[in-house]
Amino acid sequence: MLEHLMELLNGEHGPDLLRGLKIAFLAFLAVASLAVLFAPSCKPGKVNYGLLRVIFTASLIAILCYQATWQLLGFTKPSFVKFMRRYNKRPNAAELQVTRGPILDCRGRILAAPVPGDLWGRRYPLGEAAVHPLGYFHATFGITAVERVSDPTLSGFAVEGGEDLLNKALFAPRKAEGDPVTLTLDARLQQRAYELLDGRKGAIVVLRPRSGALLALVSSPGFNPLDPASALADEENTPAFNRATQGRYPPGSTFKILIAGLALEKNLRPTFACPGMGYIAGPNTPPIRDSEYYAYARKGAVWPGWGQMDMKAAMTHSSNVYFAQLGVACGPEAFNDMMARAQINASLTYMKGAAGALESSRGNVPEISKKRTLAQLAIGQGEVLVTPLHVACFTAAVAADGKLMRPRLSRGEKPEELAQLFGAKTAEQLRTQLRDVVRFGTGKAANIADLEVCGKTGTAQAPAGDDHAWFTCFAPRRHPKLVVTVLIEHGGFGATAALPVARELLEEADRLGYVRRGEEAQP
Amino acid sequence: MSRTPPPLPPVASATGLFLLSALAVLCACLSILGVKLSNAPLLPWQQLIPLGAYVAGVPMALLWLKLIGWKGDPGLVGAVFLLSGVGLVIQFRMGSFAQGLGNPVALAPFPLGLAAFLVGVTLTGKGRGAWLAKTGWLAYLAALAVFAAMLLLGRRYRGGLYLPGHMNPSEIVKPLLVLFLAAYLSMRQKAFSETQNGIPVPPIPALLGLVFLWGIPMLLTIALKDLGLMMLLNAILIVMLFAIARSTGYLALGLAAAAAAGFGVQFLSAHAQARFDVWLNPFTDPTGKGWQILQALAAMYSGGLWGAGLGSGVPQAVPIVSSDFVYAALAEEVGLIGCGLLLMVYAVLFSRGFRAAGAAKTPFERLLCVGLTGSLAVQTLLNVAGVTKALPMTGITLPFISHGGSSLITTLLVAGLLAGLSDRK
Repeated sequence: MLEHLMELLNGEHGPDLLRGLKIAFLAFLAVASLAVLFAPSCKPGKVNYGLLRVIFTASLIAILCYQATWQLLGFTKPSFVKFMRRYNKRPNAAELQVTRGPILDCRGRILAAPVPGDLWGRRYPLGEAAVHPLGYFHATFGITAVERVSDPTLSGFAVEGGEDLLNKALFAPRKAEGDPVTLTLDARLQQRAYELLDGRKGAIVVLRPRSGALLALVSSPGFNPLDPASALADEENTPAFNRATQGRYPPGSTFKILIAGLALEKNLRPTFACPGMGYIAGPNTPPIRDSEYYAYARKGAVWPGWGQMDMKAAMTHSSNVYFAQLGVACGPEAFNDMMARAQINASLTYMKGAAGALESSRGNVPEISKKRTLAQLAIGQGEVLVTPLHVACFTAAVAADGKLMRPRLSRGEKPEELAQLFGAKTAEQLRTQLRDVVRFGTGKAANIADLEVCGKTGTAQAPAGDDHAWFTCFAPRRHPKLVVTVLIEHGGFGATAALPVARELLEEADRLGYVRRGEEAQP
Repeated sequence: MSRTPPPLPPVASATGLFLLSALAVLCACLSILGVKLSNAPLLPWQQLIPLGAYVAGVPMALLWLKLIGWKGDPGLVGAVFLLSGVGLVIQFRMGSFAQGLGNPVALAPFPLGLAAFLVGVTLTGKGRGAWLAKTGWLAYLAALAVFAAMLLLGRRYRGGLYLPGHMNPSEIVKPLLVLFLAAYLSMRQKAFSETQNGIPVPPIPALLGLVFLWGIPMLLTIALKDLGLMMLLNAILIVMLFAIARSTGYLALGLAAAAAAGFGVQFLSAHAQARFDVWLNPFTDPTGKGWQILQALAAMYSGGLWGAGLGSGVPQAVPIVSSDFVYAALAEEVGLIGCGLLLMVYAVLFSRGFRAAGAAKTPFERLLCVGLTGSLAVQTLLNVAGVTKALPMTGITLPFISHGGSSLITTLLVAGLLAGLSDRK
């Protein structure tokens, strides 16, 4: 008879039998509980302890409600879901069965996809080229970047909307499909940008100026997202470090864009004498010189200086002597104000996921009081530090009529204006100046036929080693569609190291239709 | 003359409630047996003894009630038998009886508890409870003796103190001190009822007397490092002071004192501080200190609304789940629905306990009834709140359900006293 019973329990109808018993138990429990509730009770006496009855009953109800926030709504707590995914010993637990959703680029191409039947399996078609924005999903090393902040969505536990919440609370723990996350990145642009850096240490940011949508966010060197171990151990090349958002570099001459904008906002268009020997901001300070001074000195000649110079020419030739004086003329208050609006001392949030946000490092500008420091800072040297993302964002503000847009990686997020960095008129004047840089000045090599590229080179002194090379640009001048910012660590001159990368990338983006065609169709 | 049909006699009502409970217990056992059998065909059938004791013993207990002419609150008795039925089921499921006759200590508590229940009913039933007031001082001394025995002979096990044979006699301290307080306070009702602007101001001599007498067991709980017991006893004191003075001032005072003590105690004891930290942020050390509570919450989460079904979950993943954390096992297997029903039964039990207190004849019986009900209610609250992370864990067991012989026997004795007090003729 026992054998017969075993057969029945392990057979086809075994689960149904157990389910029936479960329902019967709950039903009888309910009937018995209600019968207890409504059973006749003794007559109330002279003394009434109603308050005690209310207090204890209310406390039990409150505890039950709190219990429900774990029992039914536990999936809304990311750290709790993470704990269960790693340490839940239940073989059939819902959070262990979920097929993780894919991460897609703006055209629906796969950036990350699940491996069927492998809980921690993940396929990354772009490999090391996109590991910094996407992050990794690794059983030992954890979850990072977009994989981390979008984890609830990818795991199918994210909740949007009230009706959905109720539905998920009651039934979702049995759900086995994660939801996809769509990014603003373009896989081909990301790939090309990574290839162009060619293993050099550096970063590239490509974004849409009016919406802040990031089309490429590259840090080099990259690493294989399926094997973060060696990358995390490599202290020399630090491939795990996201240089585009976390790296802090002196901005060099790219900072002149902000100083010029600041002066134009104050209606300052001064002409300064720019002698060859440079500008001395105060007693006991070394002179600030133009790069030509050093170029001449290397040839054994003496740089005669630019003589009297206006802002347009100073921008075209990237004159340190002029901009140091312009910075001083603007004054510390206006400068501090501009730095605050440009969010230099703040971190930029570039992704808001269901489990938190991705943020850049903070830049660094000290509060200015002395003349000397302002002269240094105005040319992007001294204590000022920014991330490539910061540079891309203030470049984008010039392209977008002065509006500083929050950079964003998720296609679902709406464009968000962080600040009005300049007036529209100032932005227009800056665009003309930056166009001239590419037509006649330091950025000449970026002048792609009928693309009207506007840009600014930067060569920033590093504390040790060669200078950092910058080029930040946008195109076309009239209706800018795309911003490209390139940084090469210790690359030397901006015009020779960073600029060619930006140029090739602009050409690639043009081939993909991002520069000449309308922005509306794309993120 | 009333036209409604005369209500069923209390014992008959209680028997009806028990039959419904027994049906639920039967379904639960079949479900658990089904899962156990499909895993291992050879079951030691002796592990069914406590369930047999339930099915056979409770009707005998009801017969005893009939014989002594008990006319108390049938809902109260029904709730007691329903809760202890669920307790037996979950302990059977957790394998607490798995060794069968090889470990008789595990099988004995329910039959013994049933006997204690009948002793309780007989002691206080038919309005005879008043004489217990004379034993107040005896109870006080007995409680101190238990503490002394614990201090001298106790051995530490998992942070708790036990006598040889794994007994935890500190359980009996609760009803003993409630009995003492009921006797002591009912003699001084007037003094403790004095209030000014809603703030209770008992005369200094009365206050000093209470502080002195209550201070000794409190110091002993500190010596035993049983802060959970201290919290519980103080909560009972507050409830009883409120009941005698009928001034909400005591409740406000008690809440303030509890908050201050909860905050202050973490500076005194590393153990308490660790529990407090885990409560505030279990995720800082998920595999260490946070492990137990997080596994308990994970068990609840996997249970969801309807539960995995009795026997079909994996509550063993929660450390020492069958005693302090038994509520997590229930939540996993009977779901939030089942938990809601159980908490409702608890609420009914407490509600009827307080109601019976209101109807008692002498102030002593009233206070005794409030204190005993309060002790069960506070224990239930602290345990369930601890397991669900609503409050820090206090290491207090869940009445009727947690594993532990002394706990179950004491709880059933208290339930018996309450059932007797509800019968006031």
